[in-house]
Amino acid sequence: MAFFGRVGADISHETRNTLSIIGEYAGLLNDLLAMAEKGKPPDYEKLKGISAKIAKQVRRGTESMERFSRFAHAADERAASCDLTALARNVAALAQRRVALAGCRLEVKLPDRMLPVAANPFILQQAVFSAIELMLEFQEAGAVVTIKVLAEASTAVITISGNAPVAGSELADQVSQLTAIMKELQGSVDAHRAEGVLSLALSVPIQ
Amino acid sequence: MANEKVLLVDDEREFIQVLSERMESRGLDVDTAVSGIEAVQRAKGASYDAIVLDLAMPEMDGIETLKHLLEVNPDLQVILLTGYATVGKGIEATKLGAMDFLEKPAEIEKLMEKIQQAKTNKLVLVEKRSEERIKGILEAKGW
Repeated sequence: MAFFGRVGADISHETRNTLSIIGEYAGLLNDLLAMAEKGKPPDYEKLKGISAKIAKQVRRGTESMERFSRFAHAADERAASCDLTALARNVAALAQRRVALAGCRLEVKLPDRMLPVAANPFILQQAVFSAIELMLEFQEAGAVVTIKVLAEASTAVITISGNAPVAGSELADQVSQLTAIMKELQGSVDAHRAEGVLSLALSVPIQ
Repeated sequence: MANEKVLLVDDEREFIQVLSERMESRGLDVDTAVSGIEAVQRAKGASYDAIVLDLAMPEMDGIETLKHLLEVNPDLQVILLTGYATVGKGIEATKLGAMDFLEKPAEIEKLMEKIQQAKTNKLVLVEKRSEERIKGILEAKGW
């Protein structure tokens, strides 16, 4: 539930920002109309530019709502399978704001094909989002967090990696919560530190 | 209302671009910053009647930025303008010394009123500081 709230808060923030920009453009149009009424000739190129920028923000808002819709509908699905590629893409997009607030950058490396896995999409979303949040706790501003999806024999692995400045014991405590989520999916977590890189590999069975 | 000097701080570049254009058309002198760090640097180099500050920003968030700004100048008039508003955050910001708190999207007229109020507050504070300075000089000289 807390996870749902965090994602909802991020999306509402993004939506409010988008609406604020559209609101300012609407205000700017009113300002220009008021000036035109007072005799200043309208600048049609400027008006066209504002119209295009409003359309761009509407697209941004629509995409944001579509991401949230996919996320929310996963909660009422009792499905035992989903496409890991699409799910990873959606969760990465949902986490963008959180990553930006941490001063980091998200790099997403996904296969260009569907990867059906035997896992409930809502729980898997929670696992991937939690792994990104966990990774961000250990990152400093400017770090790059990578999300990669691979198929290995009968298992699909989604790996979240970043810098590894933490002590092993702290990490073990944090990963235990993630392990509990993955157990619900009959999956597993492997936390790996090597050469300054921390990787969290979440494995689920391929369908 | 004319010539108020304002600093707009928000990581949404497009938002501050349009808002600053609208404020300038109303006679304000507007600077912009896209991060808390940039805002603090600008506040060190210029005197603003009001600073309009976003709460949720990367690296240094609005609350942290507010603390740093007030270290630069405790008399700064900071208006928090944000889409991340909660009562708790608003109370925290005002306790820390923010002048006011507005939720996005805010009507420009409302924002202009707050900026006018900020300028009045600043003038009162400047006058108070001058009186204190004169009083100090008078006491030191024994006049």
